[in-house]
Order: sequence, then structure tokens, then C-alpha cells
Amino acid sequence: MTVLGELALWIALPVAIWGMVLAFVGGKHGRGDLVLSAERSVYAVFALLVTASAGIVAAFLGNRYEYLYVASYSNRALDTFYKASGLWAGQRGSLLFWVVLLAFFSSVAVFTNRNKNREFMPYVSGVLLTVITFFIIVLLFADVNPFEKLGFTPADGQGLNPQLQNYWMTIHPPTLYLGFTSFTVPFAFAMSALLSGRLDSRWIVVTRRWTLLSWFFLANGIIFGMRWAYQELGWGGYWFWDPVENASLLPLLTATAFLHSVMIQEKRGMLKVWNMALVTLTFSLTIFATFLTRSGLIDSVHSFAQNTKISFIFLGFLATIIGVSTVLIIHRYPQLKSETEIQSFVSRESAFLFNNLMLLAVAFAIMWGILLPLLSEGLTGEAIQVGAPFFNRVNLPIGMVLLALVGIGPVIAWRRASKRNLTKNFTIPLLVGITVVGIFAIRGSRHWMALTTFGISAFVMTVIVVEFFKGTRARARIEGEGIPRAFVHLVARNRRRWGGYIVHVGIVMIFTAFAGAAFNVKVIQTLSPGQSITLASPLGHDYTLTYEGMSSSRGRNMVWQAVALMSIDRDGRRVGSITTEKRLYETWPTPMTEVGIHSTPFEDVYVILANADDLIAGAYENDPAAQRATFEFQINPLVGWIWYGGLVLTFGALIAMWPSQGPLPEVRQTAARREAVPAAVGAD
Amino acid sequence: MALIVGAALLTGGVILYILLPVIQGRFASLERSEDELTESEAKKRVSLLALRDVEYDFATGKLDERDYKELKGEISREALAALREVEAESERRRGGAAAERAGGIEADIAAVREGLRTGTTCHSCGHMNADGSHFCANCGAQLPAATETPPG
Repeated sequence: MTVLGELALWIALPVAIWGMVLAFVGGKHGRGDLVLSAERSVYAVFALLVTASAGIVAAFLGNRYEYLYVASYSNRALDTFYKASGLWAGQRGSLLFWVVLLAFFSSVAVFTNRNKNREFMPYVSGVLLTVITFFIIVLLFADVNPFEKLGFTPADGQGLNPQLQNYWMTIHPPTLYLGFTSFTVPFAFAMSALLSGRLDSRWIVVTRRWTLLSWFFLANGIIFGMRWAYQELGWGGYWFWDPVENASLLPLLTATAFLHSVMIQEKRGMLKVWNMALVTLTFSLTIFATFLTRSGLIDSVHSFAQNTKISFIFLGFLATIIGVSTVLIIHRYPQLKSETEIQSFVSRESAFLFNNLMLLAVAFAIMWGILLPLLSEGLTGEAIQVGAPFFNRVNLPIGMVLLALVGIGPVIAWRRASKRNLTKNFTIPLLVGITVVGIFAIRGSRHWMALTTFGISAFVMTVIVVEFFKGTRARARIEGEGIPRAFVHLVARNRRRWGGYIVHVGIVMIFTAFAGAAFNVKVIQTLSPGQSITLASPLGHDYTLTYEGMSSSRGRNMVWQAVALMSIDRDGRRVGSITTEKRLYETWPTPMTEVGIHSTPFEDVYVILANADDLIAGAYENDPAAQRATFEFQINPLVGWIWYGGLVLTFGALIAMWPSQGPLPEVRQTAARREAVPAAVGAD
Repeated sequence: MALIVGAALLTGGVILYILLPVIQGRFASLERSEDELTESEAKKRVSLLALRDVEYDFATGKLDERDYKELKGEISREALAALREVEAESERRRGGAAAERAGGIEADIAAVREGLRTGTTCHSCGHMNADGSHFCANCGAQLPAATETPPG
């Protein structure tokens, strides 16, 4: 199976090149037979790459340690579940996994458009196959072939990093990769619009759902990664502003900008060049993120020197993407001019534009933070470290402006809005926001950044709730429907807008959670069994944690495992117990820590077993005298809202993406409507 | 052995699958399909939706009455222009199809005339035979000699 997989990877290359060339030639000369052959090549490449991936998975499951990649990321004692996910455990496999997902999305795009959007399809297939070809070339010729053999067969593999042996880590990379790869489809349609010359907003309408899908995967992939970091890295945080995390955030930011700015093109025929630039930028950033995380460039200049080939290939490809898109945009510039202009500074359009600029500002700041250490190391030999203080100082204020825009945008009308209306619509939400800040301030809180964020969040939530309420009421009056029916129809008839608002609720929850971190409590304490510690929660109650003792068990693939048990009382009442562990894995030299988390809707109690006096005597021999241990206790308010916010965001994104049944019913100008509208307003 | 057979099947299958359209001359369509929105139809749809939005923006208090009326007028004009464009387009399309049909008939008549002149069109049934035929492939009647001097 594995040999067949390797063969399939080699066959995939000429097939992809064949399809790529035929797609472009067929498109240019109007040759339907060549285009059909190219489209079949897309399916064939997908099947071949699936065979190649199956080969790798088979090698993992069959303990084939003669393969370098399998030997580096697996061992006999590893759980079958983690063996099967070995495909994306390391650089080589994950590059293959990347291109399989891309081929999958390419096949879906070609298949769903087999009877429509045919003008675009030759070039769409061409662009998709170009990207696929690029990745296959990397796999085969940049010293990252996952099928490379060692020349001998080791008795066992080196094993998987224990930190990666976690449920979240198993789904985090695939989700992120789904986001990265699916964005290739909107990019392919954009390039196809430029190549075919059909430059109306059709390509945007066709790729609307693709863009949402990609955004949805990116956002969830990042949230899964945060969840993994929180649970597994054992420092109580979820975001480290580490270059790899930052790189994955970049395309999410520009894709968010793109999702908003396409609405202006659809509705007003403006920002055509801007949208082309954003789609190219986002796609380039997905490649850049893959490159940074998978080339080893980021860790140090050493890994850069070890595999310069892959770095140069990637940089060359990035340069080509940006160069070709720029040339195409310039070539089509006369057809990309705006049909109208922004009528008023106070309008939804200008709010969207401002949101775009802010998102790009954040992206630029993060990009600068990624590149500065690399550039400085390249130029002066000494890396300037850019850490959390820089990112927080630059991005928090912009983030708050963006959050405020989430509330401001929906209330401003398209084209133009008047001051009187703004005052009318903003008064209540602003009052709610100020009240929230006031309550916190009176209760003695002086974390102004956090308070401002809470205030803005309350403002935005009020705006969204009022929007739903007013929208439903207006629909009930205009269409003469009952309130529940009007609510359902309101959302169903404009899923993108109302689904978007639900996504905004999720975003507000996540920002609130970020601000909650300002109130984190952290205490380090050494305890003997039976001793307790009392922590005051910022929510006003007390937690008493009692160290009950240490025991030992031995999980699969481990040399030893020491488990400390901690019981939790809240204001004198037992609410539960948690365990925190040290583990030594057979294939890893240093002991790993497993944290204990007691989650409630508003805060987490988080305990880390930092150090134990005598693990062997304490845990193994069960001698209470030797069980003294040092713990780090944390109370993390609102942290759970990131995960709840993620669920809300998922729900909203699904509503926005859900296919609508046929075209929207057209607005009929009946006499009843003409009377109903002024009546509805008069009632305000 | 099984491996070689598997490899051969895989390679052969893939090559056959992607080459068949070129060999057999099977085509993928490259034309816009009939039921796809045209640019002006899309514009019409967008302005009708904008009209609905304006109504809701007014009803939910985001627009002043003056702005509402102005905008409504403005968007209605845009919608009307788009509507006219759609009509003109479908008119053009109908006209084009008629012209094509007319053109097709003209061409058919010309072909029959040419056949009569060269003697390949059958006088009894009207079937157009291949050059050099002596008998009609449809009814078997003898065709006028191709070498015969055409009348006139």
C-alpha cells in the first residue's frame, strides 16, 4: 500500500501539470475537450493524492519504521488514534495533507460548477492545478518527501511529542488546514475573472460561501489551537503571540476584511481593485503561514540553513503569486473602476472601509512582529525579540476600535445616515455601555483597558439585540406577520446579515473573555497532603483548595505518572475535585505536566503541579511524608467564554452559509406596504 | 506481482480517464448557461434588494424621512434602469435567435439550390446526396448526371 502511495504521488505530478496546461490552453482557445480533460485531471489528482495519504497512514498503522517520517513521529506503543493522525504530525506529512485537502476542495469546486459558471471554470481549474502542482513539486523535490526511506529499519520509532498527544491537537491542524486550503477556491475564481475578463460581481457571488467556509474553518482552527494551548501547555494562557500562532491569524484578519468589503462591491459596485488585492493577499498569507510553520524558518536561522531549498521554493512561489496577480489587476484596471462613489462619510460603506483599514493595520503590525526578528537577524546577526508587550500595546487599542465598529456598523444605513438618527440609535446602547463601566468602577476595578472592553462589548450586544428586535417588529408590521414568524423570516430571508450578527455575538464574547484575563489570580504555594489554600475570586467568592495527596498509575506509553488530587470548596461547600499530573513518556526525555481545570460558566480554577519533592517515594511508595509538592493556582475569569463564543460563532456562520432555496422573493410594492412603512415609523 | 499489476492499473486508468475527452472529442461547456443571471439581471436584483433594505432601514429608524424618500427615489431609478437593460437584453436575445433561425433557413435553401445545380439533390424526394452519387441514398431514384450542364 505504501509503495503504491508513493507511486501515486509521482503520477500525480505529470497529471497535475497536464491538467494545468490544458486548462489554460483550453480556456484561451475555447477548446471544450481540453477543458474537460483538465477537469478530469483535478479529480484524478485528488484520487492519486488520497492514495498517497492512505500509503502514509498505512505505514503508520503498520509500524513501518524504515520510513524516516514514520520513525520520527511514531512508536509501537503509541495509541492507534494518534498513529492515524500521524499524517499531519510533522512537516512532511502535513504538506501532503495540505495538498490532499486542496485537491478535495478543487474537486468539489469543479464538480459543483460542472453545469454553471462555465466561463470561469477553465481558469479556475488551471489556477487550482497550479497550486496543487507547486505543492507536489515541494513534496517530491524539496527534501520533504514523506516516503523517504532510512536505508535500515529501526526496531521502534522515536515517538510523538507528548504535547501533541491530545484530542485538541488532533483536530486543530486539520481544521486550520481546511481554512487555508479552501481559500484557494475564491482566489482561483478571482484570477479567473481577471483572465476571462468577466469582471462584474459574479465571481464574488459564486465564491461568497467558499469565503465564509474558509473563514469559519480558520476561526475554529485558531480557537481549537487556543484550547489546546490552554489545556496542554500548562501556563494558564491560550495565546502567546508566538510567530506560528501569529502567522495563522494573518489570513483570518484579511479574510474578515474581504468578507466585509465584498458587500460594498455587490451592493454599490465599488472597491473592485481592493477586493482583488484582498483576495490575493489572503491567499498569499495562507501560503505564507504554511511556509512559516512548515519550513522551520521561524525557529532559528539554523533550520533555515538546513533546508534552504524549501524556503526558496516557497518564497519564489509567493513572489510569483503576487507578481502575476498584480500584473493581471493592472492589465484589467480600466474595467475595475468603481461604478459609484461613497456618498457620505457617515454611511455603512465608510464604516466597512474603516473596518478594513483597522483589520489591515492589525495584520500589518503582526506581520512586522513576525518579520522584524528575521530581518534583524539576517542583517545584523542578532535577532530583535518581539514579544507579547509589543503585540498587546499595538493591537489592543486597534482591537477595541474594531470591536466598537461591530456595534456601529449595523446601525448606520447604507449610502448615508443622519446625525439625528445616529443619536437616536446610539443613545440606549451607549448608556448601557457606560453603565457597565460605571458598575465595575464603583466596585473598585481600575483595569481601564478591560473596563473599556466590557463597556464596548455591552454597547455592541445592546445594538445587536435592538437590531433583532426592531427588525422583527418592522417585518411583522410591513409583511403583516406574527412576531415569531416575522423573526424566523427575518433571519431566513437575509441569512448572511443575521447570521453575521450572530457571529458578531460570538466575537463579542471572545473579546470579553480576553478582557477577563486582566482579573486573573495567580498564586504559587507549596503544600503537604491535607493542607489547603484559599483564593479570592474576582467574582466575589472564595475557593479553598485542599491537597489530598499523590498517587501513581501508569498510562500507556509512559514510564511513570504522578497524580496529585485536589478537592475544591466554594465558600465552604464542596464543588468538586481535580487532578494535576507529571508524566514521563517512554520516548521523551523530560517529564510533562498535565494541568487540572475546574470550569464554571464564569471562571476556571486552574492548577498546575509545578514541582514535587520526591516523585518516586511520594507517588510510587505512597509515603505521605514525601508528597510535599509545589503548585501554581490560578483563577481565570471568563476564559470559558472563548469556547462558548466559538460555538456561537459557528452557529452564526452556519446560518450565513446555509444554502437558500432559490432566489429571494422580489419586493412587491403593494398598497398595504406603502401604508405600512410610514405607520411603522410613526409608531416609534 | 500484485504490486506491479496495481501500479499498472492505476497508471493506465488515470491516463485513460484524462485522455478520453481529447480522443473522443467530448466537450465541456464553456458558455454561460441559460438560467444564469446576466450582469443586468444581477444589477436589477441588487437594486430591488437595496430597495427592501431602505424600507427596513427607515422602518427601524436608521434613516430620516427626507433621506428615505431621496434614497428610495434614487434606488428606484437605478432599479428601473436595470430593469430596462434586462428587457433590452432579452429583446436583443430574442431578436438574435430569430435572426439565427432566419439565417439557418437561408443557408438551407442555398444548399438545396446548390445541390439541384450540381445534381446531388434528388428531384423526387429532395434528399441531399454525397458528391458523385448516381442514385438517391434515400429513395433510390436515379439522380441527374452530375456532369449535366445546369439549366440557365
